[in-house]
Amino acid sequence: MTIELRNVWFTYPGLKRWVLRNVSYVFNDSRTYVILGPNGVGKTTLMKLVALLYRPNRGSIITWGYDYWRLPKDKRLSIRRKIVYVHEKPILLKGDVPYNIAFGLIIRGVKHDEALSEALRILKDLNLNYLATRNTLTLSMGEAQLISIIRAIIIKPKFLLLDEPLAHIDIDKREAILNMLRMLRRGYGITLLISTHDVSVAKMLADEILVIKGGTISKIG
Amino acid sequence: MNEAFEITIRSICISGLATLLSLTASIPLAYYLSKGSKAAKILIPTFEALIGVPTVFIGLLLYMLLSIRGPLGFLRLLYTPYAIIIGESILIFPLITAILYRVMHSTWATYGELAVTLGASDEQALILMIKQALPGIIAAAIMGFSRAIGELGIALLVGGNIRGYTRVLTTAIALEVSKGSFEAALTLGLILIATVLSFSALSRIIERWYGL
Repeated sequence: MTIELRNVWFTYPGLKRWVLRNVSYVFNDSRTYVILGPNGVGKTTLMKLVALLYRPNRGSIITWGYDYWRLPKDKRLSIRRKIVYVHEKPILLKGDVPYNIAFGLIIRGVKHDEALSEALRILKDLNLNYLATRNTLTLSMGEAQLISIIRAIIIKPKFLLLDEPLAHIDIDKREAILNMLRMLRRGYGITLLISTHDVSVAKMLADEILVIKGGTISKIG
Repeated sequence: MNEAFEITIRSICISGLATLLSLTASIPLAYYLSKGSKAAKILIPTFEALIGVPTVFIGLLLYMLLSIRGPLGFLRLLYTPYAIIIGESILIFPLITAILYRVMHSTWATYGELAVTLGASDEQALILMIKQALPGIIAAAIMGFSRAIGELGIALLVGGNIRGYTRVLTTAIALEVSKGSFEAALTLGLILIATVLSFSALSRIIERWYGL
């Protein structure tokens, strides 16, 4: 189960330069990749291409052996449901915390009550019971980021992509999120892609470190 | 007074149905355009320009279409409440679509990627967008309703101001003025304003009730 970028070129509409140029890389099963680089080098763009949110201008993205963007629309959905991307600034839906966590399950056809019970169970397992009755409007940035990661984990994706998960987090929630990432690395069989500009985080978590420079992956460590 | 009540209820029903009819076309169109469609660059400015079209002009076009010798004359809709509903829904369609486009565009920018990455199908993404954009949709509906209930040209030309059948608040006001009954016209005008304000207030209450 791999995602392969094959000679991928990407730019945004109206931008007159390539953000990513001729990027090729294979992301393998059950490993943790950290993408390093300063702001603005294309980390988020690369993550969103791997997350199948962006379509490359040139090249292809091979997911589980299929050229994703050449697949018919109905076949794309089943692949897309194995990959979850968590935004740098957490995006939560209007409503309470359990509904937000359960949302991915609900759209996968799990009954509403069962999905909410599962959300409450995972909150209890993570000692985050105190968030169970909270409306998302009342959460701090750190709490919101925790919830958005839990919402991704509960789906049990094959690939979990976290874009700067510690960027806007205060010190106590930073430790909680790092613990959660360590836990995911150990036993969940999830392939993690984490973008960061923090070298210490990269060293702490990565099986492989990818450095982006000049629109391409310049160093793999 | 009974007649004023009856006219008010009829006005609310006709303009309410026109708003619903317009929304059923506007929501999917605005959703489609908000997802980055190139057609938005042409359609949205066009809709914004059409917001100011005189109601009497739309009424005239519709009259020509629905009159017995017109292309749609066989439908026998002229001088019925249905003709007013169709006319008013055409009138408010550009307004509602232009507002909804702005609402959906910002909602899609925030929640679109989230819906995709959490595995929503196209239909599930649309439902999510509608839920998240609900306060904006309600606001657009109220604005459309206010424009529809306050228009005169369409109701007069294709409704015919038939007592007990197609007479609405605006046509009743026009009739009272033409008769020189300014007091009755003013009363109906106040009822019209009170109705619009009540629906606006009701929408706020609904938004608060559901925590939107």
